[in-house]
Amino acid sequence: MLGAVRKTIYILYTIALMVFTVWYANFIYPIIFAHSDSKHAEVVDAQEQGKTEEEQMFEKFLREQGETSTTDLGYMVVKEQYVKGHFHHVGMTIEPDTSNACIKCHGAVPHDKAKTIRGFLNMHAFFLSCELCHIPPKEGQPKWDFRWYDKADGEVVSNPPGLVTTEIDKYGNYGAKISLGVHQDGTFRFINSKKERDFVDEYLKKKDLLGEMEQSKMKKVIHRKVAEKPILCEECHTEDKEPYLPFAELGYPPRRISALTSTEVVGMVKKYRKFYIPNFLMQDEKSDDSKMNKAKEETGSL
Amino acid sequence: MKNIILILGFALLSNLGVSGEKVFASDELNCVLCHKHRGLSRVDENGEFRLFFINEKMVKKGPHSKVKCIDCHRDIDEIPHKPAEKVDCTVECHLEEPSSKQKFTHKPVSEVLSKSVHSKYDAEGNLKELAVKYPDDYPDCKDCHEQPLYRPLSFFKGHAAGISERGLSRCKSCHTKGDFAESFYAHVTSRLQKMRSPKEIVGICARCHGDPQFQKRHELDAVVTSYMETFHGKAVHFGSEAAPDCVDCHVVSGESVHFIEGQDSPTSSVAKGNVATTCRTSECHADAGENIAGYQVHVTYDKDKYPLQHYMLKFFTALMAAVLYFFVIIIFLELLRRLFPNFSFTKSSGADEQGH
Repeated sequence: MLGAVRKTIYILYTIALMVFTVWYANFIYPIIFAHSDSKHAEVVDAQEQGKTEEEQMFEKFLREQGETSTTDLGYMVVKEQYVKGHFHHVGMTIEPDTSNACIKCHGAVPHDKAKTIRGFLNMHAFFLSCELCHIPPKEGQPKWDFRWYDKADGEVVSNPPGLVTTEIDKYGNYGAKISLGVHQDGTFRFINSKKERDFVDEYLKKKDLLGEMEQSKMKKVIHRKVAEKPILCEECHTEDKEPYLPFAELGYPPRRISALTSTEVVGMVKKYRKFYIPNFLMQDEKSDDSKMNKAKEETGSL
Repeated sequence: MKNIILILGFALLSNLGVSGEKVFASDELNCVLCHKHRGLSRVDENGEFRLFFINEKMVKKGPHSKVKCIDCHRDIDEIPHKPAEKVDCTVECHLEEPSSKQKFTHKPVSEVLSKSVHSKYDAEGNLKELAVKYPDDYPDCKDCHEQPLYRPLSFFKGHAAGISERGLSRCKSCHTKGDFAESFYAHVTSRLQKMRSPKEIVGICARCHGDPQFQKRHELDAVVTSYMETFHGKAVHFGSEAAPDCVDCHVVSGESVHFIEGQDSPTSSVAKGNVATTCRTSECHADAGENIAGYQVHVTYDKDKYPLQHYMLKFFTALMAAVLYFFVIIIFLELLRRLFPNFSFTKSSGADEQGH
């Protein structure tokens, strides 16, 4: 009996050493052959094989993806997203919105048409879902309900504690976004719930199986809820009426609500509206105002 | 004039605390009202991501904390403003340089840079041929510099990173107003060491010099790769602050760090006759002999450029592979034998012969 146990241990021990030897052979391979100029030449050749500017840019974006920069100050280390040519330190890392279906095609910085306000629109896309502005309630339809969702999984989360913080790092950086939905059978459901998001994922996976006509049809189907005219800035940043977004219900403290609906912000919105907001974003408004025409000229053919 | 009144009025309104939001000292115009938002950004026509976010906390950590936004972004004369022009670092800002009592400017740095190998212009002031072809390959301020941040040091009891509160309290006995003492302390002690760690410096140079296409365009060796294979490179990789980075060897001791010359310039710190002197600077190998410069730091294994090194590499790679894999195979076969002590390819045929 003892002999059999000893023999088994001996066999297992030998097998383990053999596995280690194979692993070691594999481990030393890149160390022995690490120095190779052919690798360097291959990179250059691959980059120059008659690729168009767009193809080269695509490869550059792939390389730069997720690039970070680290600044060691001795008493603290600042790790941040590296943005080429950006002088000021970002000083923080940001959780991507991996759940939103729109972002999968349109990206996280989607606004580009309205040149003078695109930065502001993208800024709002940082904490508001796309559908919040682009799917307003239809005429006669009751107002949407609004909730925060987790950027990682798209599920409802409670109002972020970061809303009441005075820490600069946390400002606007909640790991969550506001989106809209309805109450069904007593429970809240985002209009772009998991089912809808999975449907878009499925479409993106299989769209090459569709003909070009069917792809166009599907594009229309996916965007059918999207209104031509989005919600405008002054629907929320208003002193005169109840804002479109129920700030207090969404966890904004009185100080923040006061700022969002203050003369400061509302005045800024009015200035932008007067000088810059292009006609295509305006609802039910005659564009005979000379300044609006000027703005239209300025923004060019949108 | 109307615009100035508009701005001043807006600034006054902002600073009256209408929103209750804090505004940092150099932001008189409350630019952070909009620019404090992390998502303020767009993608420009060239596909580059443009971020307009200002992290106030980070601005306060560096020498630019006293510089007003409008001192750099001078073309902004109204709110809301149009896209800002590129910042010119050589303009004078409102700060006064204490030694000369003149308005502060980075112009002297720019003048030094214009004489260096990184300038687009040659010694005669003509645009270099390569600069015509590849103007983006020649750096301007922002290619190497992000907003500088202080790296203060404490010497009060020993040597440590950060501000010594007890040391600072001595300064504040006399310098009581504002944050003068904090700022002066952080500025001076940061300058007593490198403002950026060697690892960061190497990373900055590698943005261009580590790019294979850049190397090919300028017929340069893979200097970053070869540096990282040296003892210096490895020490820096593991966080050493004492090991030399690119700037330590490529700038003549005591010169401006912006004055980097090519190897072919006789006054360069890395010109053939000057390398030993560079290695012997007081902080490094002060007592070293001439032979310290007897090896090539940035050698690569290019067959045409460095044939000796190329074939030496091939030889030693083959030798190492042969020795190590020989023993690995021997050990594996030995273990196999222990596992199957009686196994033989010829045993069965031998038994057959015996049977007959």
